Amino acid sequence: MSQELVDQVSKYLTPAIPIEPISQGAEAVVFTTTIHPYLPTINEKQKFIIKYRPAKRYRHPIIDRSLTKHRTLSESRLLAKLYQIPGIHVPKLIACDPYNGCIWLEFLGEDLPDAFGFSNLKNFLWMHASENQNPYGDIVRETLFKVGEQIGLLHWNDYCHGDLTSSNIVLVKKDEKWEPYLIDFGLGSTSNLVEDKGVDLYVLERAILSTHSSYAEKYNEWLIEGFSEVYKSNGKQGAKKLNEVMKRFGEVRLRGRKRSMLG
Amino acid sequence: MSSLTIPQFPAYQFQITLFQNVSNAETIRSKIADLSYAFIDPKLIVSQEQLYSAIYKALIEQKYNRLRTKTLHSECLFCLGPTSNIGDAFKKFGIKDDSRELICLKVINLSDNNDVKEDLDGIIDGERIVFNDDNLSKFYDRELIRKTYKLDKHFVPGNTEELSRALVNAIQLRGL
Ligand SMILES: Nc1ncnc2c1ncn2[C@@H]1O[C@H](COP(=O)(O)O)[C@@H](O)[C@H]1O
Repeated sequence: MSQELVDQVSKYLTPAIPIEPISQGAEAVVFTTTIHPYLPTINEKQKFIIKYRPAKRYRHPIIDRSLTKHRTLSESRLLAKLYQIPGIHVPKLIACDPYNGCIWLEFLGEDLPDAFGFSNLKNFLWMHASENQNPYGDIVRETLFKVGEQIGLLHWNDYCHGDLTSSNIVLVKKDEKWEPYLIDFGLGSTSNLVEDKGVDLYVLERAILSTHSSYAEKYNEWLIEGFSEVYKSNGKQGAKKLNEVMKRFGEVRLRGRKRSMLG
Repeated sequence: MSSLTIPQFPAYQFQITLFQNVSNAETIRSKIADLSYAFIDPKLIVSQEQLYSAIYKALIEQKYNRLRTKTLHSECLFCLGPTSNIGDAFKKFGIKDDSRELICLKVINLSDNNDVKEDLDGIIDGERIVFNDDNLSKFYDRELIRKTYKLDKHFVPGNTEELSRALVNAIQLRGL
């Protein structure tokens, strides 16, 4: 991350809020900090996420500000709405400044043992695919099932994620088990279109396939089991809608194959 | 009294005092225009987090957008509400003639030495108690909060923390 960008964010936040860069995407930069924006510090080890959308110089300033405001709000609104849906796990929204493109979020997850990195789904699967671990163990099956449930809940309530990769699923340890949380709703939306849902599922399937090809088939099966469970628990209508989503998922997958054969 | 400073806005200090057994709310209300305080009805306040998040929002609006009300005091009251209707926010979040409890919020501009410091005890006939979540939990009205903030009917907060989180969401996104 460029020093200039870090300086810009530091200037906005003031020196009272130290920041640690952790990621830079096309749209936003992400930092951690130990300072809460408005609550007194109770624990020195506390951590928060600051997601900042920097100004884009190639856009007209007025258009840029309006786009930044719109995207910052859209992501915050989704988090607020999703929080009120029973069972869905998303990070807590702490503060939102749409004028500067800044969102404060609760920090989720932890470092995995043996330098496997941060506890997102991707690293978790890497860890279980490593030596002396069982890639098909109960903990893996159970976790993937719960990931599927999270996506099922999201889709059943007519929301789509828009960028469902295995790094955008963070695992939070609770009583020796892992609870999946969905993060990064920057491309999320409300949508009742089976197409959007099919694409979400396809994107995740591809992500699993490309990083864990030997186990991907089983992993995707477990994901879909969890996903289906949510729909099936909603009776006849649920079963019908599940069919529609799955059918479209298959079509999206087929389109993807054709495209890669051509490409 | 609790003192709060917001790291991003070091020019201000916020002093918050919670009173119970208040016997002169009507008199306080009649003098409100001359007092530089925000008097808040604790029936709608579940946590420190909720109030502080509204203060943060007011400061962001002041610095990067515009104040919708006359002072930072009234802006904090306004920012507690979930809608952009100022009159409605004052009516709901402000104290009533028959209020027995109240939260008194004072904004101090640290760079302004002329800030008058009125004596709260001369204004309020009531008993000071600590401004914390435990004491707030004695006064808030769950149903009134649900209605005021229009919470989703499927959303059933298991505890004050979960309720507070939904209110922070509403406050941060108000009017946007
Ligand atoms: N709430 C969060 N808790 C922990 N890490 C996060 C959180 N939000 C974002 N991150 C990290 O920042 C990266 C980029 O965030 P995003 O731009 O939202 O995808 C993610 O891949 C995570 O590693």
